[in-house]
Amino acid sequence: MEILSKILIYLIFIFAAPLFIGIVNKLKARLTGRIGPSIFQSYYDLRRLMRKETIYATSASFISRVSPVVSFASILFAGMILPIGFTRPLISFNGDLILFAYLLGLSRFFQILGAMDIGSSFEGMGAAREATFAVFAEPIYFFTLGSLAFIFGQTSMYEIFHSITLNDPSFLVFIAVASISVFFLMITETSRMPVDDPNTHLELTMIHEVMILDNSGQDLFLYQYSAYLKILIYATFTSNFFNPFNAQNYALGFFVYLAVMMALIACLVWVETMLGRFKMKSIPQYLLFAASIGILNLLIYSFFKR
Amino acid sequence: MILNLFAIGLIIQLLGALVPLFIKGDKKFSALSHFTALAGVGVSFIGTLGMMIFQNAGIVGIFESPAWGVISLRFDMLALFFTAIVQLLSIPVLVYSFSYQKPYIEEGKSIRLPVFSFITLTISLQVLTIANHAILFLIFWELMAVLSYINMIFENEKPEVQKGSFVYFVATHAATFILYVFFLILHARTGSWNFSDFHLTNDGTALYYVLFALGFIGFGIKAGFMPFHFWLPKAHPVAPTYLSAFLSGVIIKLGIYGIFRVVEFLTPSDPWIGWAVLVISLISAIFGVWYALAQHDVKTLLAYHSIENIGIIGMGLGLGILGMSYGSQTVAVLGFAGALLHTLNHAIFKSQLFMGSGIIYQNLHTRNIEKMGGIVHYAPWLTAFFLIGSVAISGIPPLNGFISEFIIYNGLFQSGNLAPNYTIFMLIVVVGLALVGGLAVACFTKVNSIMFLGSKRTDFKKFNVSKAEYFSIGFPALLCIAIGLYPMPALRVVSGVIEGLGLKGFSLAHYGASFNMLPDFLPLTMIFVLLFALIGIFYGIKKFRSSRASGIRVSKAWGCAYDGLTARMQYTASSYADELNSIPANILLIKEHALVPQDIFPVRGAHFESHSEDYTEKKLVMPVYTRIIETFKKAGILNRHDIRVYIAYMLVALIAYCVIGFLWKY
Repeated sequence: MEILSKILIYLIFIFAAPLFIGIVNKLKARLTGRIGPSIFQSYYDLRRLMRKETIYATSASFISRVSPVVSFASILFAGMILPIGFTRPLISFNGDLILFAYLLGLSRFFQILGAMDIGSSFEGMGAAREATFAVFAEPIYFFTLGSLAFIFGQTSMYEIFHSITLNDPSFLVFIAVASISVFFLMITETSRMPVDDPNTHLELTMIHEVMILDNSGQDLFLYQYSAYLKILIYATFTSNFFNPFNAQNYALGFFVYLAVMMALIACLVWVETMLGRFKMKSIPQYLLFAASIGILNLLIYSFFKR
Repeated sequence: MILNLFAIGLIIQLLGALVPLFIKGDKKFSALSHFTALAGVGVSFIGTLGMMIFQNAGIVGIFESPAWGVISLRFDMLALFFTAIVQLLSIPVLVYSFSYQKPYIEEGKSIRLPVFSFITLTISLQVLTIANHAILFLIFWELMAVLSYINMIFENEKPEVQKGSFVYFVATHAATFILYVFFLILHARTGSWNFSDFHLTNDGTALYYVLFALGFIGFGIKAGFMPFHFWLPKAHPVAPTYLSAFLSGVIIKLGIYGIFRVVEFLTPSDPWIGWAVLVISLISAIFGVWYALAQHDVKTLLAYHSIENIGIIGMGLGLGILGMSYGSQTVAVLGFAGALLHTLNHAIFKSQLFMGSGIIYQNLHTRNIEKMGGIVHYAPWLTAFFLIGSVAISGIPPLNGFISEFIIYNGLFQSGNLAPNYTIFMLIVVVGLALVGGLAVACFTKVNSIMFLGSKRTDFKKFNVSKAEYFSIGFPALLCIAIGLYPMPALRVVSGVIEGLGLKGFSLAHYGASFNMLPDFLPLTMIFVLLFALIGIFYGIKKFRSSRASGIRVSKAWGCAYDGLTARMQYTASSYADELNSIPANILLIKEHALVPQDIFPVRGAHFESHSEDYTEKKLVMPVYTRIIETFKKAGILNRHDIRVYIAYMLVALIAYCVIGFLWKY
């Protein structure tokens, strides 16, 4: 019975993924003085892509046909590892935080290959940038979550997030620091504004968007859906830091989850409206900054523990 | 019984090396010798596996020599594990070697010596791993060096082959010399020549640390840890590919075997020894992969990747030593298990990748990846197999590279409470390992996409891959998938090796105690099977929908509505890696040569190229080397072209020795 409820929650999670972006886009539009698309616009986009014809480039091989599927499937499994706000995740075992990072790596690997398969320099540029920034994004993840893993002596995500309690003042600092660096990570990995502009229309300045330039129809559907899922996964990841209610109370947990999601959306919208894109050269510095605040956790911990 | 099987296999291999020499016709010779050796390796491998599973033969004496006591072989789990690696990898490499020699036979090149020495090389490696007597070990160690050198100068008419193989020759002899000293000191301390009697404990004297350093450096040169790695990128590209595969897959693993033996002999109980190994390994891993990212020669690139993976293995080793010194069994078991399993995994996928690159070299006659591309349209299966190897070596699930890295990660996470402040140190190591993973992904996406994908940069009409070649890269690929999906048997073997190490402070009560300390792989296996299933299902749905509902069309790639994209406009490997390489540019010694138009008119012969040079070689090894050469040139005045002078030198030296010995005694 329990597993059924978990699966149901995860299905809802998958289904709600495009909504997150829809809300973000709507709010962004309102903040810049436009009416903006409906919050269900991403659903309409996905439906349209499902019906469209799939076009392959002449130089594309089987890699192009396989990589969207691999990418999508690995993102789905990465989502299964993540505790969603208040529930025990579908898959939870010791060491799953490593698997989470590496499943995202698998999806990235195939996305890059699918991009390079076309042989056009646009995709090459995007893929090179993606690979470069991913190298810096990995340490951020391991600095933040790894430091918590060392502090609590656990290596499963559920255990780590549920070891955070409110009875120690230092944990409030953890929450603050970790959520900041994970927010940075989220912006990087999901190609949002200060790093990458999802709405740009110049191929030379894109990162993620240019990698899927030559995909269409079913393939583009899968890639887009992976991107929506990825951003919701990272948002959920951030929201887990704000869940020290120990998950006994579903209603309260759910309420906290939604509240944090709203706050995250607000942050994202504000950042995207207020900031322009960084120069490509300065992105590594920004990422290294995020990584270095991740190690603050441990220093704080050793300070409080004495 | 099983031991006899092993011995029969060795005898068959020896026959395969010797008998075909009397046969006329190189074609028959090559086929006969390779396949006899293959059969022998198969029989031996079954024997090795049998000894690993049922019971090992322990110590078997061969004959008694007057000076050195009983010369014996030792079949303990560690030796058998590495013997099994040698034999397992000999199977695809021998098949590949057979197909590699074919074009050379047609050219009329004499291949008898290389083939003979290659088969004897495999035999000597199998004896090397089970040798229990230090002298026997060293004899076979030297044989390994010499025989692989004979293979390396296969294309000895090329100057770079002469240079590169000479570097290998010098480096390996330096290592052997250090090992002489190491074993002599061990003999002096224990009074025995046998590996099974070498058991020292840390007595705090300087000699103990000197011993550990000698052992680690001597075997570390062979393994290719970072400051001693300079011969690898020189030797691998010039060796014929079957030897490169063997060199990277198996021979440098024997350096790891040696370091395991050193750990067994000395039972290090100092945390700082573990830290030294860990830090050296971390540096090897990070810079190895970063150097790899800067290469354009595919074999050099793979050689640097070997350094990276040796670094990962060394991290497991260092972690194991740390666990031993703090008396934490869990950490020690996790570290050693990760190191051993990664040794096996790396042997599998690295030799596979080398063989893949060799197949391309034989068709395109270039090792520069900037000149490849578009191979996927000619040989899709080759691409698929190479991709499997690449995913595995990057440490990405669901293949075997992830399994061993996962164990090492687990060990690192467990080791946070060994001592105060270890959380911070270990976190840095974890992040270093994660960084290596990210860089490996960047590097292997580069290799795969530039080599295989896109459209072809050089014009080749046909691309032949024979069945033997498909077997030699398909077999390791299947092993990768098998170990990735179901690692339990491999883990059983590895935990058996750890229990057989005979380390002090390892009171593992019953068989399988260390297996239970390893992380639970059942959820991982489940996830991986589901992942494969899901990929299949989604792919089926996609194919069905796009063929029925929405349709498929093939058209030209998007070039901003410009319809004239050529192969030269594709992204290149150097551009792909440029941004990452610009970070440690001072260490990578990246040199750029460019001829670009200064004027408004284009110049003829405009080009741009960048390449990286090895810091250790250019800044540390070569200056010392040239200094030594100059010093000995000055000693050239002793060089009289008269035999009597030389005899006089010998006499003087002998008299000096006698005098010294006389004074020493009395």
